[in-house]
Amino acid sequence: MDKRPERIHLHARFLTQGPERLLHHDNTTLCKALAIFFRLIGFLRPYRVGVIWSFVLASLAIVATVSIPWLTGAAVNQIDSGDKSSLVKIAIAIGGVSIVRLGLTVGRRIVAGRISLGVEFDLRNRLYGHLQGLELGFFDRQQTGQLMSRATVDLQSVRFFLGYGLIFLIQSALTLVIGATAMFILNPKLAAISLLPVPAVVLVARRYGIKARPALQEVQQRIAELTADAQENVSGVRVVKAFAREERQAERFRHTVTRVFDQSMYSTKLRAFYNPLIGFLPSLGLVAILYVGGRDVVNGSLTLGGFTAFYAYLLMMLGPMRTLGVALGMAQRAAASGARIFELLDREPRLVTPAGAPDLVAGAGRVEFRDVSLIYEGATENALTNIDLTVQAGTTVALVGTTASGKTTLSSLIPRLYDATSGTVLVDGVDVREVSIPSLRNSVALVTDDPFLFSETVAENITYARPDASVEEIEIAARRAQAHDFIEALPEGYNTLIGERGLTLSGGQRQRLAIARALIADPRILILDDATSSVDASTEHEIKEALRAVMEGRTTFIIAHRLSTISLADVIVVLERGRVVAHGSHDDLARESELYAAIVEKGLPDQVFLTRKPVETEVVGL
Amino acid sequence: MFIALIAATAATLAPAPLIKMAIDKGIVPGDLTQLNIAVAAFIGFALLLWATSAVQTYLVGWVGQRALQDLRVRIFEHLQTLSIGFYSRKQSGVLVSRMTNDVQALDQLVSDGIVTLFQATLTLVGTVVILLWLDVGLALISFIIFPLMVGASLAFRIASADAYRITREKIGAITSYLQETISGVRVVRSFGQEPRHVAAFSELNDQNRVANLKTVYLNAAYFPAIELMSAALTVAVLVYGGFQVIDGSITVGVLVAFIAALNTFFDPIGQLSQLYTTYQSGMAALDKIFELLDEEPDLVDDHRAPALPRINGAIDFEGVSFRYGEDDAGAWALRDISLKVPAGQTVALVGSTGAGKSTLAKLVARFYDPTVGSVLVDGHDLTKVRASSLRSQLGIVPQEGFLFSGSIRENIAFGRPDATDAQIADAAEAVGADVFIQEMSAGYDTEVGERGAQLSAGQRQLIAFARALIADPRILVLDEATSNVDIHTETKIEEGLRRLLAGRTAIVIAHRLSTIRSAGSIVVLEHGRIVESGTHDELIAAEGAYWRLYRDWATQAVA
Repeated sequence: MDKRPERIHLHARFLTQGPERLLHHDNTTLCKALAIFFRLIGFLRPYRVGVIWSFVLASLAIVATVSIPWLTGAAVNQIDSGDKSSLVKIAIAIGGVSIVRLGLTVGRRIVAGRISLGVEFDLRNRLYGHLQGLELGFFDRQQTGQLMSRATVDLQSVRFFLGYGLIFLIQSALTLVIGATAMFILNPKLAAISLLPVPAVVLVARRYGIKARPALQEVQQRIAELTADAQENVSGVRVVKAFAREERQAERFRHTVTRVFDQSMYSTKLRAFYNPLIGFLPSLGLVAILYVGGRDVVNGSLTLGGFTAFYAYLLMMLGPMRTLGVALGMAQRAAASGARIFELLDREPRLVTPAGAPDLVAGAGRVEFRDVSLIYEGATENALTNIDLTVQAGTTVALVGTTASGKTTLSSLIPRLYDATSGTVLVDGVDVREVSIPSLRNSVALVTDDPFLFSETVAENITYARPDASVEEIEIAARRAQAHDFIEALPEGYNTLIGERGLTLSGGQRQRLAIARALIADPRILILDDATSSVDASTEHEIKEALRAVMEGRTTFIIAHRLSTISLADVIVVLERGRVVAHGSHDDLARESELYAAIVEKGLPDQVFLTRKPVETEVVGL
Repeated sequence: MFIALIAATAATLAPAPLIKMAIDKGIVPGDLTQLNIAVAAFIGFALLLWATSAVQTYLVGWVGQRALQDLRVRIFEHLQTLSIGFYSRKQSGVLVSRMTNDVQALDQLVSDGIVTLFQATLTLVGTVVILLWLDVGLALISFIIFPLMVGASLAFRIASADAYRITREKIGAITSYLQETISGVRVVRSFGQEPRHVAAFSELNDQNRVANLKTVYLNAAYFPAIELMSAALTVAVLVYGGFQVIDGSITVGVLVAFIAALNTFFDPIGQLSQLYTTYQSGMAALDKIFELLDEEPDLVDDHRAPALPRINGAIDFEGVSFRYGEDDAGAWALRDISLKVPAGQTVALVGSTGAGKSTLAKLVARFYDPTVGSVLVDGHDLTKVRASSLRSQLGIVPQEGFLFSGSIRENIAFGRPDATDAQIADAAEAVGADVFIQEMSAGYDTEVGERGAQLSAGQRQLIAFARALIADPRILVLDEATSNVDIHTETKIEEGLRRLLAGRTAIVIAHRLSTIRSAGSIVVLEHGRIVESGTHDELIAAEGAYWRLYRDWATQAVA
């Protein structure tokens, strides 16, 4: 019981801060942004060739773009000297360059688009694969919406940056460098004067970056909170409606939305201050040209054409300077999102097998717990303490005990959903940590009291563990689980869509499907965690018969509160506060264990009418 | 905002005439004073541009973010008006995607879009005026570009509308899949099916990529085409204008200024075409959002309908039949139900899975309206009163006890947020939840986690009782939990239930014998019909369906 508060505490901290902060952005150091930045760029590695191509195409396009003002300047000079034929030649040249540029731009856009989508694809797959590799304990403390937000909203801003922003950034920088070089060749003095504002632009942009990144990261975090909030309200809509609390939930949601708004406005404020400033500084260069260059034309040291070209260059460079601002903004956003994605990717799976671990050897399903203790992450008290228990192959064990006595925890250790903190769990003599996880989990099937079914057809849900099962096998499993009859009565039988997109099944029906799903896996170890709680009495009676048959030749763990179910077991293990307090047959325990005797005697005074075995004596007489 | 926009536009436009003035009046005639004036004016306009664009970015950002905020809230509020039937048809991941991904896709449109639209349009109009002022002939040639541009944009629109719509659908599918497999992670893990999900996800992810790739191709065709038109125009102006300068009909200054002005002419055109693609992708998202907003609530709560007055809690089913779905083909979930429940009585609904117990209970809460017949509370037809006034006097305890992330206190006070701490503690005590709550480190402030994951099933059940109790409903609809808990908790739940039911009209989907026995009346349902009703003793004496269920259960006891 005491483990809970600690876990809750941990959970609460996560809710406000995100998963175990691996990146402490205590200080908005540029180094960190750069580190994230380079890691993001690292994802471009598989697309090296494409990146080089798009870079080459972009550079050539820039050369084309830069040459246009130069040609225009030349044309003006020809006009000035009244040379019509040269003018036409230059005009044709401009046209030709434009067409070449068209080809280059189309190519560059396609290549860059492919790369950005490729990176998004890779990152999302990697993120999902990573999530699938994380241990179950991780998800116990996560909000689904938070994880979803990282794989969608955050990924998109990374994609925009890597696909477009980065190219913009490089292109703008290149345009500036090439433009500046051209200007220096044309007129070094004028070039130096007009490029004076550039260092200032760099400084301001840097300052903007330092301020904007944490602000934007907070925006992303709040959007994730919003996702979590929206998700919870959609899932819990029945409760909201039942209590007519729509207004209040809407109020809460408005609050969450307002938090996003406030933070977005804060980053807008930053943008409103810095972006125009970055736009303003370069126009000082224009002023310089007009003032100094104009005088040079007047005193004859510069031609009017030269002046025009110079002016056109600077105009041309104004765009990239502004784009640089936009691209930097994208980079900020991507760095913020990247940090959130890496936070997840850097969370090491804590439940791993050594590389090349062998498959679980064939066996009959002997399970052994050797001095097993488990303490949940962040908890102060053990969930399991010094469990020593051997279950012979083919026997059925009932785990009995009060809530939070460790029954479910103990059974979760067998398919290695959690790892013991100390001690070892062995299946057929092999430590579960030393065999490949898929081979282990394929040998163990678990049925819980509130089984989760996927939005797929009935047949697909049954064959979940073995998609290649034949129609006959599906039916046999369904019959054994007493599910065949109700499935046949569904609108489309085994092909009926269930779950979120389809038909809603009752608790009892879901449990029977889950039993069929477990049976088709043909596991050597079967774990039934309160698996028939929602099944009515008549059906349960039949399932019990079927279970007796399927338990043959398997090791079965039953977690139950009912004597009728417990009576299926060869051995009963009584747990209390994570310890085995008694262990033996029904008769032994009735004599020796006070707790078990109490269960038998009180006989669960409140018997579930349609689903539980009664103990009241007068009932027996009926 | 508009002042800022206009001022900013003026400041953007100023350089072209200023440079004309600088060249024609200053540089060519060698008049340095004129040049100085032009330079000073230039600085002035640059400063103006700085100030106005700062104001404009802020204001437009405000308007845009405001719009997104409103849109999110509107979707949320609209979702709340939709019936439970709607939710059972839709995947929750898709609905969440509407509020997050799709609204996010509009972000770019509203935050940059509005500025671009106004500023680019104003710039364009201003440039047109300046071009005309500089030289009418050259200007007219330049305007040939408009019909070409419009044509290209139309072609682009037709080609891309579908492509963008598909991208929205694909990201929705990804969100859904993520949501489902994260929610079902325990099953995935225990059956070791991770590789399959990774593969299926990768397939969805690839579909998303392919869909987006199509928009990339379209963009790759559209933008450079616009750029090419601009270049062609520059050439035309250069040649035609150049000839005119050489012929002496216009000055060099005019031509240079004209070419400079053409730059400010192309910029807004480029921006507008960029905006157009943003608009296209935004519109696809907006379409999806509107599709959701256009979803008519099928249980319309007429706001002019009278509120249900304070009720006693008598429930009356008059010839009620019901089937799910709108098509006539669906099987009847309930047939010809006529049932009177006097105020204050507990009715236990008994029957096998699929007999119609929960459907009957849902009609009382008006989660659905009967297909035939009517449900009356104190003589008021439920379809003729405001649903909120009914539900505020109604308590519902669902089987699974869904809790919201937040503290235990917040969850108990869910139905009555103004409840005092004392009232919350009283409610918890009444249902026997106070003991375990106080044992927790943070007591009533303990966070319950997503869906109450940090609590055990029994604890969630007790909190759901307290939540129903504090609302002090006249009518209680209760789906008894079947999940088994230990004796200790079981006893507590039983006592809590007794407290909760006392003095209220209750419709209970019962599983516990103790509940059924203490019920004022037992209604046995089979295949959507009432086959029997009466007290426990009466029904046992009658040796009917109830007696048979009871016998089955008893046989099992000796098995």
